[in-house]
Amino acid sequence: MKNWPWAILAPAFIFVLIGIFSPWLMTHDPAAQDYGALLKGPSWDHWLGTDYLGRDMFSRIIGGARTSLVAMAFVLVAALAIGVVIGSFAGYVGGKTELVLISVIDIALALPSLVIALALMGVFSGENFNWMSDYWKMVVALTLAWWANYARMSRAVVVAELQQPYIEAARVMGASHIWIFTRHILPHVLGLVVVYASADAGALVLAIATLSFLGLGVAPPTPEWGQMLVDGMSYIEENAALVIIPGLALTAVVVSFNLLGEAFALQKVPRAVRGRLLARKKAARAAEEIARQEVEA
Amino acid sequence: MQRMFMRRVVLALLLMLAATALTFWLVTAAPGNVAALIAERAAGAGADGEMIAKIADDLGLNDPLPVRYARWLGDALTGDFGVSLRTGKPMAEEFAERIPMTLALLTGGGVLALVLSLAMGIAGAASNGGIVDRLLHGMALIGASTPNFFVAAMLVIVFSVWLGMVPTFGVSGLTSWLLPWITIALFPASVLARVVRVNLQDTMSRPFATTGFAKGLTRRAVLLREALPNIAIPYMTTFGAQFTLMIIGAIVVERVFGLNGVGAFFIEAIRFRDFIGMQATLTLFVVFFVSINLLVDLLAMLADPRLRRPKKA
Repeated sequence: MKNWPWAILAPAFIFVLIGIFSPWLMTHDPAAQDYGALLKGPSWDHWLGTDYLGRDMFSRIIGGARTSLVAMAFVLVAALAIGVVIGSFAGYVGGKTELVLISVIDIALALPSLVIALALMGVFSGENFNWMSDYWKMVVALTLAWWANYARMSRAVVVAELQQPYIEAARVMGASHIWIFTRHILPHVLGLVVVYASADAGALVLAIATLSFLGLGVAPPTPEWGQMLVDGMSYIEENAALVIIPGLALTAVVVSFNLLGEAFALQKVPRAVRGRLLARKKAARAAEEIARQEVEA
Repeated sequence: MQRMFMRRVVLALLLMLAATALTFWLVTAAPGNVAALIAERAAGAGADGEMIAKIADDLGLNDPLPVRYARWLGDALTGDFGVSLRTGKPMAEEFAERIPMTLALLTGGGVLALVLSLAMGIAGAASNGGIVDRLLHGMALIGASTPNFFVAAMLVIVFSVWLGMVPTFGVSGLTSWLLPWITIALFPASVLARVVRVNLQDTMSRPFATTGFAKGLTRRAVLLREALPNIAIPYMTTFGAQFTLMIIGAIVVERVFGLNGVGAFFIEAIRFRDFIGMQATLTLFVVFFVSINLLVDLLAMLADPRLRRPKKA
C-alpha cells in the first residue's frame, strides 16, 4: 500500500461523500418548482441555474449523486453476493451440478447485461409486478442482469485454487470442506471479485443512467442524471447547460471509477485479508530463526 | 479440427435455444393476461370476458408453456414472429424495415472503431511513453467513460445547434450519418485502442522483436511487420465483444437521433408492453450476439492452432 496512488482514489471517494451527505449539501429542495425562474443561468441563488420547471440544478445534481450511489451500492452488493455464492458453489462441487450451473451462467451471459436489464424492465412492467416501485424494479433488474459476470469469475478462481497443492495438504490433514472453503478459497475469490466490482461500479452508474435516459429507470420526481439529461434535450436551444451539467457529472464519476480500476490492476491488489499478511510475516520471521539456528549449529 | 468446429456450432445453437426459451418464459409470464391486452387494443375499453376468452382460445394461450414455446419456435424458424401488439404489423415486416437501419449503424460504427483504434493504438506504441502516448491514453480513458447518450447530445449541441451543420433529427445524406457513427464508435474505439497499445508493448519485448532490431530493422518496421500481426487474436476477440455491445449504442443512438431501427423498436415495445415485439427483438439480439461470438471463436481457432486442441479437464 506504500506506493498506492491515493490521489486516484480521491474523486471516487468525493462522489461517495457527496452521495452520503447530499441532504445537507443541497441548497434547495430538488423537486421544488419555481415558475418565476425558468431556464435561468447561474446566479447567487441558483449556483448552476434552473431547469425548465425552475428547479435548482445544483441541488438536483447533488441529489442525483445520491440516487446513483444508493442504487449502485444495492446492485453491486446483491449481484456480488449471488454471483460469488453460485459461482464458487459450482466450482467447488464440480460434476453435474457444475455443468448445470455453468449452463445457467452462459445463458445469462448470452446477451449484454444492459439488454437483459432492459428486457427485465419490460417484464416487470406487467401487471404481475405492480407491487414493486419503479426504483426497486430497476435495482432488481440490474442485479439479475449483473450477477452472472461475478459467478463466472468466482468459479474460475475456485477451480484454479482447488488445484493448488496446499489444498490437497489441508485435505490430507483432515480439514473439512467448510474449513477449506471459508479459510482458503473464499479469501481468494473475494479478493479478486471485490477489486473487479470496484472497477465495475462505474459501468453500473452508467447503466443506471442509461436506463433512466431511455425512460425505463428512476421515475421523474427523484433527481437522476440520465433522466435530467434526457429532459434537458428538449431545451438544448435555450439552455444547453441542462444537458452538459448532468453529462459532465456522470462522466466524471465514471472516469474516477475507471481510474480506480486501472490503479487496482496496476497495483496487483492490496491484500484483501489483513490477518493473512500478519501470518506471512510471522512465518518469515520463524524461517529466519530456523536458518540462524542452523548456521549456529 | 472439424470436430471442434462442429462442437462450437452445436453449443452455440443450444445456447440460442436455451436463451430464447428463457426469454419466452419470462416474457409470456409477465403481462398477466396477453389475451386481455390484445382485446383491449382491438376493442378499446369495450372488451368483455367472452371476447378475451375467445382470443385466448384462438391463440392457444391456455396450452402448457412447453407446447406454446414449441409452437412459437416452429413459427419463428419459418420467419413468422407474430404480430406486434403496438403497431399491429407482422414482426417480419417490422424487421424488414428496421434491420437495414440498425445494420448500417453497426457497420459504420464498427469500421470507424476499427480504424480509430488501430490508428490510436499504433501511434501510442510508436511514441511509447512520450507525450502522444500519454495523451492518447487519457483520451481513451475519457472515451471509455463518457456515456454514449452524452456523446450524442454533445455532438448534437455542437454541430447542429451551435454550428448548424447537420440536422438534429433523422438521416439524410452521408454527413448526417456521421454523428451517429461517431457516437456509437467512441466507446469500442477507446477500449480497442487500449488493447492494441498494451498488446503491442507486450509483443515488442518478445525475442523475435529483439531479433528484428538486431537485424537492423527500424522501430517502425518491427512494430508494423513483426509485432502487429501478433496482436490479431486478442484484438479480434475484443472486437467481437465490443461489436456485440454496440447493440446498446444502437439503442441509445436510434433514440437520440430519431432513427427507426430495431433498437428504437425494442424500447417502444418495452414501454408499450408489446410482449410479442419484445420476444421477437430479443430473439434477434440473441441470434446476433451468439453468432458473432461463435464467428470470433471460429476465426481465433483458424488463426491459432493451440486453440483447436480440446481443453484438458
